Amino acid sequence: MTRRSLAPDLTGGDLAPVAKPAVATPAESAARPARRFVTLDPSTVIWVGATLLLVFMIVAPMARLLFSSFQSTETGQLTLENYVTAYGNLRRLVGLGNSLLYGAAVVLVATGFAVPLAWAVARTDMPAKGLVRATVLGAFITPSYLGAIGWILLAGPNAGWLNRLWMALTGAHAGIVNVYSFAGLVLVTALYAFPYIFVFTADALDRVSSEMEEAAHILGLSPFRTILRVTLPLVLPAILGGAIIVFLDTVALFGTPAVIALPARVNIMTLQLWQFFEFPVRAEAAAAYAVPLVLITIAMLALQRTILGRKGYVSLTGKGGGRSLMRLGRLRWAVLGFCFTVCALAVFLPYLALAQAAFSRAWGQGFSFANLTLGNFAYLFGEASSRQVILNTFIFSAATACLAVVLALIVAYVVGRRLVIGGGVLAGLCMAPLVVPGIVLAIGLYAVYSAPPLMLYGTAAILVLGFTTRFLPIAFANCTASLRSLNPEMEEAVRILGGSRFVAVRRVVVPLLKKSLIGTWLLVFIPASRELSTAIFLVAAKTRVISVMILDLSENGSFETLAALGFFLLGVTILIVLAGYRLVGRDFLLRKS
Amino acid sequence: MNGARWASSLLAAIGLAGLALSTASAETTQEKALYDAAKKEGAVSWYSGILDQPICDQVGKAFQAKYPGIQVSAIKTTSQVAFQRLLQDLKAGQVQSDVFTTTDIGHMMFLKSKDQLVKYVPENEAGMVDAVKNVDPDGYFHTSWVGISAIVYNTAKVKPADAPKDWPDLTDPRWKGQITFGSPNYSGMVGVWTVAMENRYGWDYFTKLNALDPQIGRSIDDAVTVLNSGERIVGMGNAASALRSAAKGNPLAVVYPSSGTLIVISPSAIIKGTPHPNAAKLFMEFLTGPDYSKILAANFEQPLRGDVAPAAGGKSLADMKPFAPTADQIEKQLPPNKAKWRDTFGM
Repeated sequence: MTRRSLAPDLTGGDLAPVAKPAVATPAESAARPARRFVTLDPSTVIWVGATLLLVFMIVAPMARLLFSSFQSTETGQLTLENYVTAYGNLRRLVGLGNSLLYGAAVVLVATGFAVPLAWAVARTDMPAKGLVRATVLGAFITPSYLGAIGWILLAGPNAGWLNRLWMALTGAHAGIVNVYSFAGLVLVTALYAFPYIFVFTADALDRVSSEMEEAAHILGLSPFRTILRVTLPLVLPAILGGAIIVFLDTVALFGTPAVIALPARVNIMTLQLWQFFEFPVRAEAAAAYAVPLVLITIAMLALQRTILGRKGYVSLTGKGGGRSLMRLGRLRWAVLGFCFTVCALAVFLPYLALAQAAFSRAWGQGFSFANLTLGNFAYLFGEASSRQVILNTFIFSAATACLAVVLALIVAYVVGRRLVIGGGVLAGLCMAPLVVPGIVLAIGLYAVYSAPPLMLYGTAAILVLGFTTRFLPIAFANCTASLRSLNPEMEEAVRILGGSRFVAVRRVVVPLLKKSLIGTWLLVFIPASRELSTAIFLVAAKTRVISVMILDLSENGSFETLAALGFFLLGVTILIVLAGYRLVGRDFLLRKS
Repeated sequence: MNGARWASSLLAAIGLAGLALSTASAETTQEKALYDAAKKEGAVSWYSGILDQPICDQVGKAFQAKYPGIQVSAIKTTSQVAFQRLLQDLKAGQVQSDVFTTTDIGHMMFLKSKDQLVKYVPENEAGMVDAVKNVDPDGYFHTSWVGISAIVYNTAKVKPADAPKDWPDLTDPRWKGQITFGSPNYSGMVGVWTVAMENRYGWDYFTKLNALDPQIGRSIDDAVTVLNSGERIVGMGNAASALRSAAKGNPLAVVYPSSGTLIVISPSAIIKGTPHPNAAKLFMEFLTGPDYSKILAANFEQPLRGDVAPAAGGKSLADMKPFAPTADQIEKQLPPNKAKWRDTFGM
């Protein structure tokens, strides 16, 4: 009875009735504790199970990684020689240093793009919000290789469109922008990484009620200072969570650096790491080179904990705060201008350049009507094998996203509500797979999953498990940030009234964080759909995915088909996102939705 | 153009099917015996570090058409990944691949030294061009693909008469800021190129190239993308990718250097302990036979046999003065060359 009355009220859009279950029948609340002594609480089973699964999924390949870093390539004996190979060279140390600098610079630029955009979309009356959201996710789904090529076409020093335009306009003999530079590398990486921070921050802003902002306003704070002193601090955990993901993702990135940093002769770690896989292969040295990254991850998490400290970030309480959008007046056009500039840099301009290839028979000929064709798209759908590849990608990524969200929510809850000892270790474990370079993780995954007793090689399951391990950190970081904004009192109310943890999560946490969980789902779905390094190790003939197909196409010079595939991905993402937001409806804190 | 290509590949496919029917009766007794034994195994799996997945699938289909009853599962990844997977399989005692093909002959030397390969000399190897025959004197591995490293240029920006004719022409100062190639640290084919050029012209060749401020990509195939974009106008690249792109109408052409074209041999071998040893042998026969070379030519790759004509714009192996450093030279010189490369080019 009680539980049934609770659910519709919460999902129905009003928070006030959280207090309603107080009308539970005395008989029921009396019976509950007695029963819990007898039977095991189902929620305990669930999180113990999830934790064990997690330990297996992450600890098994990671332990193998750590162990192999101390193993001799030749004899398998314990040794430190891999660390000497990995670090006994100035160039490698410089590479590591450059990578850290690169990661930090990308975080700064990406935050500069993402936070204003997220604020504009979530808290203001700016027009064209749906389009901005969809375009940001379009940038997100763009494979880094393709985005980088788009930018080479735009900002190549000799033939880049922007440079040619500049030369034509001013009569200058040289262009003004050069993508082949450290700055170019940082900008291009940030353009395709900022959506992480955007999604985290926008979700958090969606949950902040206006009460505190109104209070600040009444106390005489200007709107601008209110944003700085009240709104942004409340979503700091989300911004930091996103920033950490961007940092770790950047440090472990290979695609963009391969296309931009290598010709720019900027030496970074992943480029060094790749060389360990040229013959003679030294996978063990690669593992040794990767181990400090895991330490860096743990350091980042500790830093995050210090920054956030014991301050309160609860923005979602049972008291039913309303939320109003900030009226920007004329300023809204300036804000929209900023959003469109970012969207143009990330999506419109590079795709315009790529369009020339996607709709050409031969892209090197340049634009002409005779050269136009839809044949590259026809090829994508005409071939049974490429249709299969596209279908595989969406199915595997969706399955990965579902599995990761469920696991991450459980673990984030267990850690966040301190239900187990050693939660911090569990959190560190959850974040580790992201930073381990994909190819190194992939070897561990392949070794664990394809050998007996699992023998999953050749199945879709091995890809889904591999992707889930790889992207669990993202889901975990987002769930953790969301849970911080949720006042535990609401769950405690359920517990006091005799509901189990399971009920509290299912009937309170999940409905309240619905939108955030959908955001998390997308945050996993999108990178999973473009993941290459693990995929290439785990695919079999029938389980190929788009990223592997892209590599094939780039290797045989079929750039026209490659660009067409990029367009297709962009189109599908924008449709999914627009449909998704329509289905979910607007945020439930906006009462009039 | 595009329609014509579709039609021609369709015709090629029909031709292949017809050929499969006609050769089915012309089997040698050894081939027949192999086929009978292979049929009982019913399947063969191929880890391929060469070609791309669609072409590997074509190869599998053609094999199945010629030898009904034997399923081919072809998995294309990069050679490094295929090799890593193979090593993991061997470690776990679960051989998943019957036939392994790699662009890196070093992989084969390693497997051979560890006694992981099956010795088998396909009968069909006799019909291959001399330059690619008997890569392993002991008969453990055999050529399945040849990478052609040649000079490539953008025909919209360089007239054929002005294009470089031979390797030393690439170091001409007029290509300053205009030249591109890959890196030996990421591409085996580029690595072999450094060995070959060093042996012919000394390391000074690369010092001169560095003075031209080259754009250094990763793979040997990057040159095609860079040249098409117009960012650079001449380069050292893979002839097959350039021909494929040129056939679509892109402004690219290949120059086979007058003093000789560099070839990089990618071998295949049968892995010891495979569950399908006879099907693997039959597959090796197929990879050395004419049907496979026809698939290569139809996809702008280099046919391995004199009896199969190359793709339009290409040359036959016999006509391009092919040369290659020996496996020993590559094994000895490549690792120090990678270091020298980093010193010369800073990456």
